[in-house]
Amino acid sequence: MVPAILIFASVKKMPSSLKWILGSLTLISMTCFAQDNPVDGDTIATKQLDEVIVTATRNERTMGSLPMPVSLIPKNQIKTMGSLRLNDVLTEQTGLVVVPQVNAQGNGIQIQGFNPDYTLILIDGEPIIGRYTGSLELSRIAVGNIKQIEIVKGPSSSLYGSDALAGVINIITDRPQGTRVNAAIRYGTNNTLDVNGDVGFTKKKLGVYLYGNRYHTDGYDLSPQNFGKTVSPFTNYTINSKITYKFSPLTDISVAGRFFNEDQVFRFEVESNGSRIRTAGNGNTQDWNFNPVLTHRFSDKLKAIARFYSTHYQTETYLNLETDGSRYYQDDFTQSFTRPELNAEYFFNEKNILTIGGGYIKEMVQTSRYGDEENRYQETSYGFFQYEWLPMQKVSVIAGGRYDYNSIYGGQFSPKLSSRYELNKKVTFKVSGGIGFKAPDFRQLYFNFNNSAAGGYSVLGTEVAIDRLAELDAAGQIQTYLFDPALLGNLQAERSVSINAGANIEVLPSLKMDLNVFHNSINNLIETQAVAITTSGQSIYSYRNILRAYTQGVESNFSYPVMKYLNLSAGYQLLYAKDRDVAEAVKAGEVYWRDPTTLVTKRLKPGEYFGLYNRSRHMGNLKLFYDHKPSGWEGSLRVIYRGRYGIGNIRGNIQGEVIPPSDTNSNSILDIYDEFVKGYALVNISAAKTIKNSLRLQVGVDNLFDYTEPVLIPNLPGRLYYASVSYSFSKKNVQP
Amino acid sequence: MKSTLSLVVLVGFVIAFTGCSEDDEPLPVVATTFSNLAADPGTGFNPSTGQPTGLTRKFTLFSFKTGGIIANTDSATNKWDLGFNGTTIIVNSATSGPGTSQAQIVSGIFDELNTAPDAGYKSDNDPAPIAGAPNANLAIPTGSGQGWYTYDGAAMVNRPTAGKVIVVKTSEGRYAKMEIISYYKDAPASPTSTNAARYYTFRYVYQPNDTKTFN
Repeated sequence: MVPAILIFASVKKMPSSLKWILGSLTLISMTCFAQDNPVDGDTIATKQLDEVIVTATRNERTMGSLPMPVSLIPKNQIKTMGSLRLNDVLTEQTGLVVVPQVNAQGNGIQIQGFNPDYTLILIDGEPIIGRYTGSLELSRIAVGNIKQIEIVKGPSSSLYGSDALAGVINIITDRPQGTRVNAAIRYGTNNTLDVNGDVGFTKKKLGVYLYGNRYHTDGYDLSPQNFGKTVSPFTNYTINSKITYKFSPLTDISVAGRFFNEDQVFRFEVESNGSRIRTAGNGNTQDWNFNPVLTHRFSDKLKAIARFYSTHYQTETYLNLETDGSRYYQDDFTQSFTRPELNAEYFFNEKNILTIGGGYIKEMVQTSRYGDEENRYQETSYGFFQYEWLPMQKVSVIAGGRYDYNSIYGGQFSPKLSSRYELNKKVTFKVSGGIGFKAPDFRQLYFNFNNSAAGGYSVLGTEVAIDRLAELDAAGQIQTYLFDPALLGNLQAERSVSINAGANIEVLPSLKMDLNVFHNSINNLIETQAVAITTSGQSIYSYRNILRAYTQGVESNFSYPVMKYLNLSAGYQLLYAKDRDVAEAVKAGEVYWRDPTTLVTKRLKPGEYFGLYNRSRHMGNLKLFYDHKPSGWEGSLRVIYRGRYGIGNIRGNIQGEVIPPSDTNSNSILDIYDEFVKGYALVNISAAKTIKNSLRLQVGVDNLFDYTEPVLIPNLPGRLYYASVSYSFSKKNVQP
Repeated sequence: MKSTLSLVVLVGFVIAFTGCSEDDEPLPVVATTFSNLAADPGTGFNPSTGQPTGLTRKFTLFSFKTGGIIANTDSATNKWDLGFNGTTIIVNSATSGPGTSQAQIVSGIFDELNTAPDAGYKSDNDPAPIAGAPNANLAIPTGSGQGWYTYDGAAMVNRPTAGKVIVVKTSEGRYAKMEIISYYKDAPASPTSTNAARYYTFRYVYQPNDTKTFN
């Protein structure tokens, strides 16, 4: 990628915006020359602002030209960090928190205080599905074939539709370039073995790239006194392929595909008929996708792209009792998503660029949790536009909007307006505002789920709740209604109105700072609503658009090249995330807390309400990256801090241990008198040496000081040592 | 605990002395704590479901006037004000009993509530509840977060919601205020699902005179 960066460094100097756009088109062909060969003198501090990012506008733009908060994690940084899975990379970024989804699947990502369900995660611009219980399991994504990860904060529903409230994370995978062969093996703590390799070649008009990965871990056990493991052993395989073909200098096609399979072996102790019984079982997860993209340039002014994306996700879990092998638990979930889309980019002139597009989505979900194995469908048609106006080199304005029409929740319009003003060479201001939305998910619509294992409760989606409650009622199983069922139904999309404002500042020569202040006002949040109690005392829940919340804060990043090959960076985020109704009630003096020891009730003062669960007020990081290309040595020292936070009332447990909720004073909200999960810092180090540009040896330690919090932070394994060897061969091959 | 207790004792003394000197003044009222009112605790519980076993399904009846429990054989009289069974609390009126007791939940701090509200009292299930759900419209609503308690699903315990004061107007037209402080036997500071449930501990003030004030 190095040549591409250099190209941009030079192209950017031209005043014409059209030229940098054309430059970015050249990038695609120029990347064919790009190799893994490091160029002497290219330090890590290289012109980060000139790197190209596609997520923010759906078109290639240099980072420095964009008026919204964007960041980019390049491949070399991912390699230096020694990361294997997507969650390893994201957890070290400022403002991003990988939060455990206790009763759900794995880990999700929190951006600007939003729950993981509110960040859209894309691979090459196409969404990853499998939000089985809300969030995506980030460890499904191997990072070995990632060219770069782009992160756009703030709502991007104006381009991407549902789920892009907090932001968009777009994983850009490698494209065929030159001839290359890479093979890598890594072994570490917990018998974790990662083997991956890729081959790629380009021959005249054809480019082929193939990536394969096998990952195995024995998992880990944070509470050895209990039966079973905190994370059970699993093995997964990922295969990615991409074929590109240039029909002519004006027309090319890329066909990408992915296949993923994971098997996990479970052993749990469960409660059955009053005694603790051991179970054993399996979980299998698969996904695949198919993504042809046809690009044609009608003229210098008009480029059109036709995309097709089809993806499928399925997961199946079962547990058998060890005693007699009988089935104790079974759960399955299948989802598919198919989307044709057309979009076009039109350059009126160097100051005016229009992008328009439209598409159609068909989604299907099937799960035992809906009480039947029927397929549930949802269709969405959408159209979007984006207008980029660059009246002067110092000023750019991007206005866009998208309209989605969905078969269930109806129409949604999501506008966005961003602008950028370059005050001088050292200071650039950016401001953007927009609306994001998240459609009610299948769970909230169709759940018909009775959990007899964990205390006993049922959850009914709004589309089935009324009928199902009537059935239970007719069977005499309802003891009490807590909410009028007639008022259920008609779930609306959740919406946020957001503003991001900030600046990029060169504080001192080479000391760069970026600052972003954000405010997100979220309405129509869907929350569980207790609806009834059965005669056997089980609660029945459904969903309603009841909550209002806001998140606001400041994010800041500093970067400073201490020496030519040594870069120091620091990041910090301050976050306030609060339930608006609770905040207002506290202000009105209507919220109380009971001292758990004296049992005396007191009024909560404004300022004593901490906010939503699982949000840290402070988080930060400090990183040193060393990259000495001449000698082949590289290394890193990263310190990641997460401040204290509260844990909500999570119905569930980890490995037989009940997770204590933070609220200890009987008001169901998180206030400063409650119990918090302590703040903590993780220290990760790595070192690598590349010999003759082809053989690379790396060792590293993650969580150097072995910090764990067994019950409260189940997704934090202890200290992890690893060592890896990789070999890469690449050959320049000049395009005709 | 200490400071609050001594304050209550002090207030009690002050009121007691002033009470003695002026005979016409109504007798002073003091906060009383009633501990471990057994609300059909059953004979045991099923550890897998957490549900109690051996339930009588009968309400334990309480009178503010006597400050004690009224025998269940008197359920058809207006001797009692409140009845307790599990998390359900009934008042002696309408569908629950022959009396005219009414109640409402007021948000606030028990000690700060010096006067009973003029209006807002309800009888049980008046108006009639949702069809098929006999106790859906009680004066003291049932359900987690709906009335006096919040269910903590992780710890599997019911916690009396802080800042909920139950104000009762008895069949005799007298007023009482109460705050439930525990649902578990002996009111442990941090109850767990292994503590014996369905034992109410509450503080109350009963005003025997014809006034709405609680001091």
